[in-house]
This record gives sequence, structure tokens and C-alpha cells, in this order.
Amino acid sequence: MSLAQKMSGLPIFLAYSVVMEEEAAERHDELADVMDVHNNPEVAATFRKLAHYSRLHAQEIREQSVKLELPKIAPWDFEWEDGEPPETADPGAVDYLMNRSKALRLAMENEQRAHDFYAVISREAPSAEVRELAAEFADEEQEHLDLLVEWRKRIPEDEEETPFDPDPPHMPE
Amino acid sequence: MALAADRPPLKARDYKSDIKPVWCPGCGDFAVLSAITKALAFLERPREEVAMITGIGCSSRIAAYTRVYGFHGVHGRALALAGGLKAARPDLTVLVAGGDGDGLSIGGNHFIHACRRNMDMTYIVMDNEVYGMTKGQASPTTDADWDRSKLTPRGTGIRPFNPAALALTAGATFIARGFTGDPNGLAKILVSAIEHRGFSFVQALSPCKTFRPEQMEWKKHVRGFAQPPTHIGALAAERLHADDGMSTGVIYQTDYPAFQPGGGEPGDPGQFEAEFRI
Repeated sequence: MSLAQKMSGLPIFLAYSVVMEEEAAERHDELADVMDVHNNPEVAATFRKLAHYSRLHAQEIREQSVKLELPKIAPWDFEWEDGEPPETADPGAVDYLMNRSKALRLAMENEQRAHDFYAVISREAPSAEVRELAAEFADEEQEHLDLLVEWRKRIPEDEEETPFDPDPPHMPE
Repeated sequence: MALAADRPPLKARDYKSDIKPVWCPGCGDFAVLSAITKALAFLERPREEVAMITGIGCSSRIAAYTRVYGFHGVHGRALALAGGLKAARPDLTVLVAGGDGDGLSIGGNHFIHACRRNMDMTYIVMDNEVYGMTKGQASPTTDADWDRSKLTPRGTGIRPFNPAALALTAGATFIARGFTGDPNGLAKILVSAIEHRGFSFVQALSPCKTFRPEQMEWKKHVRGFAQPPTHIGALAAERLHADDGMSTGVIYQTDYPAFQPGGGEPGDPGQFEAEFRI
């Protein structure tokens, strides 16, 4: 049975949704911090903004859940396809020399995965109310994706180049 | 101060400090921090009942990044410090963390004796098979033919330690291996390790993106152990030696009385002072 087919009611669906947004926010915060430390303030600010949006979305979902008792699920009992929620950025995809454009590309990939996650549930969940809400969330993720595309278009083209570090941490022979 | 029972449950992020980690972007150690904080939140351990003791190295900085009692100690001596703390304060949950160099080279002697002593603590070795903080030299877990360091241009020529097998031989009563590419799976292992009564050893495969970029491929090779944990040492040894070091999960767990000097009561600082008075 797929994860989507296990979405039998709103409580379990919202439990997954809240954690997905919260973990996305946490990861963006982590990436913002590490970019701050590595003196990449523009990318740090970008990740900080992305964390803010994820947190707003998490808050919105929590408000929708206020009258429901969400199941308590241990982090390892969530059945995410890749071990982590689909909207969480892959930490292996970042480096200290990344630019805003690359950071936004990463964010777009995350939003795309989040969209796909909800889209599958909107088709396959056994509960009609879950399917309806999942379709709504999928549309929202698509809107986020569109906004990111627009945001990225506003970045000057010369920022596409990778910054140069004359003193990199490793000099392989 | 509100009693622990009166406080709302802590979330994983409540166990993180406000200090920004200096680890490189993409470092596996971030996932260890995440796993530790998730494990502590799941176990609902009050922050003032947990201590994080570390040595020296990139990973050992984790003491500063957690919001529990912490001691960033001397290179390789984290286990000695932790043993002293546990002897004096058996009521604390003692976590010890460091890297493969800190724990298996500089601290190698402490490691084997901590295993056989079997004090009730959890030791996490973030294993990236390299000394990262000093810019990429071979460690005791580096493959013999790794030739990317100027210090070992033709490789070390020395077989690496198998940390889990070493722990088994030395007498650890809980042995597991986790992977930072699966922070939630690692958190689950840490919960079991912390709950185990005795010395728990957790090897966390933690890629170093800067000095061992090829380790970013580990994700393709890591998988769970095919068998459940065993309490039979010979069987665990057989499995460990047949494995390529990329299998994760709890490998071995057995019951053996944890060593606790003083009968498990917190020590009286005045008495200690009197004993050492000249």
C-alpha cells in the first residue's frame, strides 16, 4: 500500500503536512546559518526568506488542524520516500560558493517534490476530504514554485557564475 | 523554576543552541545534530538532565550546538571526562561525541577501556574517515590506499580499523551503525542507544564534503543490516567482518551490569574534596 493510500483521514494527512513544512523551515534555517558563517550573506538571506515562507505555511496548516487531534508519529515512523520529507532541501546539494540562483534552483526542486507529493495524495487517498485538501495544497505548492521562477528571473545573469575563492579549503594534488 | 513535569514538551529545536555551526555546507555532522535533538525530544529528557561531552575536531564542536550541559574537552579524552562525570552524577544522561581521529587514534586507548568498563553512556563517533579540522589527513578509519593527502601521497598502506568490530571485541554492550543521509533512522538508533543500560557505541557514517567529496556517493551504497540485532558476540563478529561497512542498524545488544562506582548515588563534592586534600 502506498503512502497516499494510507491517508485515510485529515488527522494523519495534516500530521504529515505540518512536519513537512516545519522540517523544510528548519533545513532552510540551517542552510542560512551555514551561509552566514561562510560569509555568503546574499545566499544566507535567500535561505532565511525561504525558511520564513515555510514557517508561514506550517502555521497555516496548524491553524487548519486546530480542532483535530493529530496523531503523534515518531520521526522515523513517517514513511517518506527518501527518509526525509520531500520539501526538505538536500544538504548535499549546497556548497559555500553557491549563488542565489543556485539556491533558488534548489528551492524550486523542493517545491516541485512537495507539489508531486500532494498531487499523488489528491488522486490516490481513500478519503474524499483528504483528496480535496491535498489538491488545494498541491495548487499552493505550484504557486510557490511559480513565485520562485519569477524571483529567479529577477536575478542578474552575471550572478549565474560561481564565485571565485582564491583560498579554497582544499588543494588536491 | 517550573518542574519538568509542568513544562510543555520540548521540540527537537529546543535542544539546539543559538550558536551557528561552523561545519561546511553539506557536512554530515548537521544530520547527527538533528538526530540527537530528535532523539532527546522523543525521550522527553529535560535539558538539565543531559550532558554532551566532546573531544577535539569538527564533529566535537557539537557540544556548543546543543542546549544541554556541555564540555568541549581535550583531544581524545572525551570518554575519560564522561566517565568521571557519570561516576559523580549517575542521574545524568551522558552523551559523548567526536570524530574517528579523536575517538580511535588520539582517544583509542580510552575507547577500548570505556567499552569494557561499560558505564551507562552513549558514544557517537562521526566517522568521515579523515581529519577534517586540520585539513584532510588520514585517520584510523581511512582506507589504506587513500592518497589525496600530502602526508600520505601513496596512501597509508595500513588497514583501517573497523570501529564496530573494535567495540565488540573490547566489550561494548550496544553497538550500532547509522548514516547521516538518514537522520531519522539515526535518531531511532540513538533512542535505543540512550535507553540501553551500559556503554552504547554508535558509529555514524558522516560524509566530509570538503576533504572526502567522494563520500557523497555513500547514499547509493548504504542499506540496513539484513538481520535483526543479536546478543551473540560471535554472530555479531561474523556479520561485521562479512560486511563492507555500509550496513546500518543496531548490530549487537546484550545485558551486562553497567559499571557504576559509588553504588549509583550522586557523589558528595565535599567528600571528594576531603579525599584529595593534601
